[in-house]
Amino acid sequence: MNRRSFFSWGTAGLVALCSAISVSLGAVVRFLTPSVFYEPPQNFKIGNPADFSFGPPTFLAEEKIFVFRDREKGFAVANAVCTHLGCTVGYFQNDERFHCPCHGSVFNADGAVQHGPAPRPLEWFEVTLARDGRLRVDKDHVVPASYRLMVS
Amino acid sequence: MMNPLRDVWQSIFRRDPLSTDKGKSELVFLNVWLHIHPAKVKKENLKVKHTFYLGFITFFLFLILVTTGVALMFYYRPNPPQAYQDMKDLQFAVYLGSFLRNMHRWAAHGMVICVFLHMCRVFYTGSYKRPRQFNWVIGVVLFLLTLGLSFTGYLLPWDQLAFWAITVGTNIGSYAPLVGSRIRELLLGGHTVGEAALLRFYVLHVAVLPAVMTLLTMVHFWRVRKDGGLSRPVWKLKAEKSAQLVTIGAPDTIAPLPAVPASKDKTYGLMEVVTGKPIFETVSMEEEEDTVFSYPYAFFREGVALLITVATVMAVSIFWQAPLEELANPAKTPNPAKAPWYFLGLQELVSHSALLGGVIVPGLAVLALLAIPYIDPNPSRRPADRKWAIRAFTLFVVVNVVLIVVGTLFRGPGWAFVPPWVHITGAE
Repeated sequence: MNRRSFFSWGTAGLVALCSAISVSLGAVVRFLTPSVFYEPPQNFKIGNPADFSFGPPTFLAEEKIFVFRDREKGFAVANAVCTHLGCTVGYFQNDERFHCPCHGSVFNADGAVQHGPAPRPLEWFEVTLARDGRLRVDKDHVVPASYRLMVS
Repeated sequence: MMNPLRDVWQSIFRRDPLSTDKGKSELVFLNVWLHIHPAKVKKENLKVKHTFYLGFITFFLFLILVTTGVALMFYYRPNPPQAYQDMKDLQFAVYLGSFLRNMHRWAAHGMVICVFLHMCRVFYTGSYKRPRQFNWVIGVVLFLLTLGLSFTGYLLPWDQLAFWAITVGTNIGSYAPLVGSRIRELLLGGHTVGEAALLRFYVLHVAVLPAVMTLLTMVHFWRVRKDGGLSRPVWKLKAEKSAQLVTIGAPDTIAPLPAVPASKDKTYGLMEVVTGKPIFETVSMEEEEDTVFSYPYAFFREGVALLITVATVMAVSIFWQAPLEELANPAKTPNPAKAPWYFLGLQELVSHSALLGGVIVPGLAVLALLAIPYIDPNPSRRPADRKWAIRAFTLFVVVNVVLIVVGTLFRGPGWAFVPPWVHITGAE
């Protein structure tokens, strides 16, 4: 084998080896990524409008959301998951703010950060009226804090 | 009748009697478990006050963790509702269940402490210097693996502490630039802490991480042996003796290979002769009276260290119960939600900023630790010659301890600053 063919075969071999390694690594990452998630749906119904009272928000523990109902403005749904590190915030009626128990982040009633390490305001989710008259929340659809659903 | 028995004995232990020097040597190098030791060790290697046997103690704690961990696996199912029931079974129904769980938990805490202290000892004695630079790097990786094993073990009881520690921990990971959310999804096997996450942490905890840990531990020990054995205070050697220490093959030494006089009393084996300089082998030209046979001197001390370690873990496990909170409840975060103590320094940092405190500062700290042997140009191991290195490392240790103490004792509900007696009296 002469010098030229040694190097061309060597280069080809190296390229083949590197591509084999990258393909294998990609396959490992893909294998570890589930194709199906057995998780609660992101889009779900939460009940009839009449189920929710005016005044303090209703906390739905399974869905981790707060449902606000205001006499003039209508329905709004806030995410109860803190934007800092994912703890569940609580809404305190006395100061009308959200408090995170983990690292002390405080959000006002619009979800804006007032204090603490949270980098972003709390999310608000789109809430619509489904055909059967129940409220539907879509967690994949984040809306501005001013978003309201009026139900007559 | 006696002869077959002696034949069996000699077929297992193929060595001369231990009363002879040859038998003492063969005990070490004909035995697969002992041959990581040299047949003879230097007397200074055995000094408790130099190493405090912290590496040995860490390894013994790891052995306790493997043993008790395998025992616990017989009664543990990695599924969300059953996992917690199995904890309760271990606590109240399984014979010795709570004792074994306590041992596993307290040995894990002890291992985090001992790995850290071992790292401090290696730094303060300058033992990471040539030719041991890369073994320090392996040691830092072993420290990170210890933390990883603690973290993955924490989720398994599926109690409130477990659930929220993992929620917060994996969310810190998601702040890593570019790959963050991907890492979190791979770790959890989904988007929330649920049954997929529990199974993944279980596999990491009982198979993947212990395997990597075992392999790297073997490399770590092998390199200690190859680099001249256990650490010893070379700067305390008498001047004429330290002049006799030569590191063959080190770039800045041109010392010729010393000629070792052949002796009638020694046994030599003929290795194949190859040409070339050996890489970094510290050869000590010390007298024979400076060394002792590993059997019984080193093995006795190691045995004592093992017994003290096991006895301490057992005693602690009799008197103190491993904590178990209520069943994990994704809807209700406990207030305050605290990680185990060794992560509270990190939690204190992320309470100020998740990206800076959770990713950037710890990442840089780990990089700095890994780089220590390569950025420290000082060849001396004598403490008096390394004042600034010692000050810098001490500052690092103090900052870590202060952060952990603040996170543990001075933080209350909503991570607000509280005086420590609030925790003691329970007045909240």
